[in-house]
Amino acid sequence: MQSKFSNSAARITRLGRRGCDLMEALGRAGVFLFQSAIGVPSREGWRLWLHQMHFVGVLSLAIVLVSGLFIGMVLALQGYTILVDFGAEQALGQMVALSLLRELAPVVAALLFAGRAGSALTAEIGLMKATEQLTSMEMIGVDPLRRVVAPRLWAGFVSLPILTVGFSVVGIWGGYLVGVEWLGVFEGSYWSNMQANVAFISDIGNGMIKSAVFALVVTWIAVFQGYDLVPTSEGISRATTRTVVYSSLAVLGLDFVLTAMMFGGL
Amino acid sequence: MTDAPFIEIEDLYFFRGDHEIFRGVNMTIPRGKVTAIMGPSGTGKTTLLKLIGGQLTPESGRILIDGQDVHRLSRKALFTLRKRMGMLFQSGALFSDLDVFENVAFPLRVHTDLPDTMVRDLVLLKLQAVGLRGARHLTPAELSGGMARRVALARAVALDPELILYDEPFVGQDPISMGVLVQLIKRLNQALQLTSVVVSHDIKETLSIADYLYLIADGQVIAHGTPQTLDINQDPRVSQFIHGEPDGPVPFHYPAEAFYRDILGETPVTQKD
Repeated sequence: MQSKFSNSAARITRLGRRGCDLMEALGRAGVFLFQSAIGVPSREGWRLWLHQMHFVGVLSLAIVLVSGLFIGMVLALQGYTILVDFGAEQALGQMVALSLLRELAPVVAALLFAGRAGSALTAEIGLMKATEQLTSMEMIGVDPLRRVVAPRLWAGFVSLPILTVGFSVVGIWGGYLVGVEWLGVFEGSYWSNMQANVAFISDIGNGMIKSAVFALVVTWIAVFQGYDLVPTSEGISRATTRTVVYSSLAVLGLDFVLTAMMFGGL
Repeated sequence: MTDAPFIEIEDLYFFRGDHEIFRGVNMTIPRGKVTAIMGPSGTGKTTLLKLIGGQLTPESGRILIDGQDVHRLSRKALFTLRKRMGMLFQSGALFSDLDVFENVAFPLRVHTDLPDTMVRDLVLLKLQAVGLRGARHLTPAELSGGMARRVALARAVALDPELILYDEPFVGQDPISMGVLVQLIKRLNQALQLTSVVVSHDIKETLSIADYLYLIADGQVIAHGTPQTLDINQDPRVSQFIHGEPDGPVPFHYPAEAFYRDILGETPVTQKD
C-alpha cells in the first residue's frame, strides 16, 4: 500500500518536474526569440542575411520545386479519376489550385524546409557552440544572437513563403501537364475555372499567412535547438532530430488550428 | 596608471548542479602583471575564467573588473566591457567559416571603422608576431592544434585589449612554439602593459613568466604568492603540486573502493556495470 502510494507520488513529481522543465524551456525560447529578432540590422547585418538567404532559401529551391511538381502531377491524376466519374473533369484546375494554395503548398514546403534547412541550421549552430565559436564571439564583444542567430532566423522567415509560392506555381504547372497535356482536359476550362474560383485574399492570402506562421515556427525551433543544445556530438545529433520532429508536429498541429480559423468558420 | 587591482574576486561561490566548484574564493589580480592561476585538473580553472568573462554567473560573491561588477552589468554594458578583454581558448575556437586572416581581422572589422588597408597591416603585424603570416590564407581546418592556438592569440590581441585571459596556453605545443608562446606572453605583457591571467598546470613555463601565483584546489585558494615564495612553501599540498610529486595529500585516483575488492568482484555491481 505504502509503496503503491509512493510510486504514484513519484510519478506525479516526475510529471510536475517535466511540466516545469517544459515551461522553463518555452520561456527561454521566448526570450531567445525576442533578443534575436528585435533590433535594426546594420549594413553588415544585411550582408549576413543575404548570405543566409542563399544557404537557407536558394539551396532549398531544388527539393521544394521538384516536390511541388510531383505533388501537382499526382493531384491532377487522382483528381481526374474521381471527377471524370461525375463528368466534372473541367473543374480539375480549380481542385488542383485550391488544394495546393490552401493546404499542400504551405504544409509540404514547411515540412521539406524543416528537413532540409532546419536540420542544417541546428547542426551548424550546434557545432559552433560545441567548438566554442559562440563563446569566443561573446568574448570578442559580439553578441552571437545578433550576429549568428538573427540573420538565420530572418532568412528562414522570409525564404519559406517565397519557396511556398514556387511550390504552388510548379504544382499547378505539374497538374496542367498531367490533366491537360496527358489526360486531355480542355485547357481553357483548366485555367478559367481556376481563375474564377480562386480568391486572392481568402485562398492565396490565407495560404501565405499559414506559410509565414510555419516559417517563423520552424526557423525558431531550428535555431533555438542549435543554440540550446548540450555541446557534444550526441547532443548535436539529438537536437537535429528534435528540430525535425518538433517542427513537423508544430506545422501539422498549427495547420489544423489555422485551417479551422480561416475556413472552418471559427 | 592607477595602482588599483584590475580584477577583484570576492567570496565567490559557484555550483554545477549539486557539485560545489568554488567555495569562498578571494583573489586580487594586479594591473599590468602576469598572474597565474594553477591547480590540478578539474579544479575549475577554466570555469573561473568564464566567471571573470561573465559567461557564467556565480551563486554568490562578486567579480569586479576595473571597478565594474561583471554580473550586475546589462547585456550591452557587458559586451562593451568585453571589448577591453581578449581570451585565448584552449581549443583556439577559431571561426570555421573564415580563413586565418579574416579570423584575426574579425574584431577589427566589427569594432572599428578602419580602412581595409589599415586592417590588413594590423592583421599582418599580429600574424607576424605569432609567426603565421605565411599561413594567412589557410582555413582553421588546415591548421594543427598548436598553430590554431597561435592564430587565436593573434586574434585575442587584435584590438590591443587591457586584459588577456589565457586558458591553458601551453597544452599541445611543441617545444619550439612553447618557447615562443612563453616569450610572447611575457613580451606582450611588458610592451603593452597588459594585465594577463594565465590558467595552466604547466609548472615550469608558468613559473617562468608569472609575477604572482594563485594555487586552487578543493574549491579554494590554498596558497598564493610570488613564484619564489611558493617554491619554498611547506604546505604538503602546495609542495606536491609545485614539485610534481605523485604521492601526497592530493590523490591521483578518483575516489573508489579498494582496488583488490573491485578486482575480486566484492563490490556491489552498479547498474552501469
